[in-house]
Amino acid sequence: MNPLATTLFELFADNLPARADKPFLIDPDRSWTYAQVAGEVDRVAAFLALRGVAPGDRVVVQLRKGMREVAAMLAAAQVGAVFVNVSTAWTVDQLAYVIDDSGARALLIEPAAARALDAPDDIVILASDQWDGLADSLTGRAAPIVPRLDTDLAAIIYTSGSTGKPKGVMLSHRNILAGARSVARYLGLAEDDRLLSLLPYSFDYGLNQLTTMMLMGGTIVHQPVAMPTEIVRVMRDYGVTGLAAVPPLWIQLIRLLEQAPVSLPALRRITNSGGRIPTSILEKIPDLLPGTRIFLMYGLTEAFRSTYLPPDKYAAKMGSIGQAIPGAEIHVIKHGVGIAGPGEQGELVHRGPLVSLGYWNRPEATAEKIRPCPELSHLIGDEPVVYSGDIVRVDADGDLWFVGRNDALIKSSGFRISPEDVEDLVHRSGMATDVVAFGAADELLGQSVHVAATLLPGATRDALMAHCRQAMPAYMVPRAIHIWPEPMPRTASGKLARPDIVQACLHVPDTVRACAAQPPAST
Amino acid sequence: MLTSALILQNLHTLSGFDGEAGDDTPLFSSGALDSIAMINLIAFVEEQADIEIRADEVTLENFDTAARISRFAIERAA
Repeated sequence: MNPLATTLFELFADNLPARADKPFLIDPDRSWTYAQVAGEVDRVAAFLALRGVAPGDRVVVQLRKGMREVAAMLAAAQVGAVFVNVSTAWTVDQLAYVIDDSGARALLIEPAAARALDAPDDIVILASDQWDGLADSLTGRAAPIVPRLDTDLAAIIYTSGSTGKPKGVMLSHRNILAGARSVARYLGLAEDDRLLSLLPYSFDYGLNQLTTMMLMGGTIVHQPVAMPTEIVRVMRDYGVTGLAAVPPLWIQLIRLLEQAPVSLPALRRITNSGGRIPTSILEKIPDLLPGTRIFLMYGLTEAFRSTYLPPDKYAAKMGSIGQAIPGAEIHVIKHGVGIAGPGEQGELVHRGPLVSLGYWNRPEATAEKIRPCPELSHLIGDEPVVYSGDIVRVDADGDLWFVGRNDALIKSSGFRISPEDVEDLVHRSGMATDVVAFGAADELLGQSVHVAATLLPGATRDALMAHCRQAMPAYMVPRAIHIWPEPMPRTASGKLARPDIVQACLHVPDTVRACAAQPPAST
Repeated sequence: MLTSALILQNLHTLSGFDGEAGDDTPLFSSGALDSIAMINLIAFVEEQADIEIRADEVTLENFDTAARISRFAIERAA
């Protein structure tokens, strides 16, 4: 491993003396050693330096998952610039917004985006089909390696917030390295690990897979095709040792493994983040992936990664997000009261070296998200912490359970109902694939519970409602079930696009989306 | 019958894909279509061909081109 690295570029380059010929990246068509990737990085870095990209400049990267995407981020790092990775699922308009908001100096993008963009002339553009021409024009010019402090800005990750325009979360080199060290430590990652990279590098959890493998000198297998059968085939063929995914993908993968079991003896561990996997799916994983350790994790971009549940607690605490990751401190706060104890719930706040530098060019939003915590002042004074906006419950052992987004909890006739609890019970019916629960304004109750669901073949709304009445306490039974006629939209990270789904259900007249009002559950 | 022409006609609505595509253009292995487009496409094929597609049937062999999807749907519906 590379314990002495203090910057993102060192994290990569420190592998070269000992592992130059070791495979670093495996793409569908070929594999790339550490030295080969370093050669690509150097050519792009030389191009950026020649075109005047200076330390601290923002370099926007939007490339299909593969060697070039990684080399582009590292080339920006080599010249001391800040990479801004944008998901390829984002549209040209969204890309243009990020370019403008971040004040980008250079773009490393796909040819189609380069053609479609109407970028100002002073922005340097290198399309991926121009990389092969770089070697000739730049022969003999090795790029400089620009030193940076570990407190300097290394990357900006744009998050598609539930409201308003995307905001750029600023990560320092220290944030990224602390995240790699912490996660590598608790996952027990090693030099012989091969992680499958399926999630975008524009997502902190996906980027962390890459940084942990650079830290340990391991290998990344790129999986650009998010087709469950392909994921399983690649994992088997390449002896993948670790897979990270998000709940909608786990639901698809577990369904596939149930129908067509595959033995994956090399798979040491799997990890989930980005939401709660339905309990009915969690229960099936140990049988379908025997010998694989299961880590349930929690993180938010503003603090990179926060908690995990160790695999030895999985059987007893399936669904818990556990406790703080190494090198971070997590507290649960009851606003104006103090620290939540066993059996209580409150907002999760995060302290430590993973706390990001805040939002790019948005000091007010930063001051709201990252601020001193009065309930912790007796412990840490006025040191700022990240307010997650997530409500969690603390159990008797100090393990945490995700309850819901602070602003998504459904407040109905005095109850505070977790949308995830409702969704979990709907999933138990085995009648639905995608499920989103939300609160809708209600004159009598304050809010009433609504459910949007994509039904499996053969299921009906009446049957699902009957299941809810049987499986749920009366206050939780949905007032209406909105049948979503197709798979629900996803975010670029693969999570369900909740705000879009809720908006569509609330704004489309009942008759159109066939969400005929059910009578309220009366018991 | 679910022809490859019908699939190509609906490709933009199903996936937002706005490039050129013929019967044998790779849709997934090329990265042109993402996982969301895949889910939409599966639902479209199920509805048009009146079949239920099992998770283990969604492979590149069956789904990577319009021609393959059409062949798969016709064989399964037979």
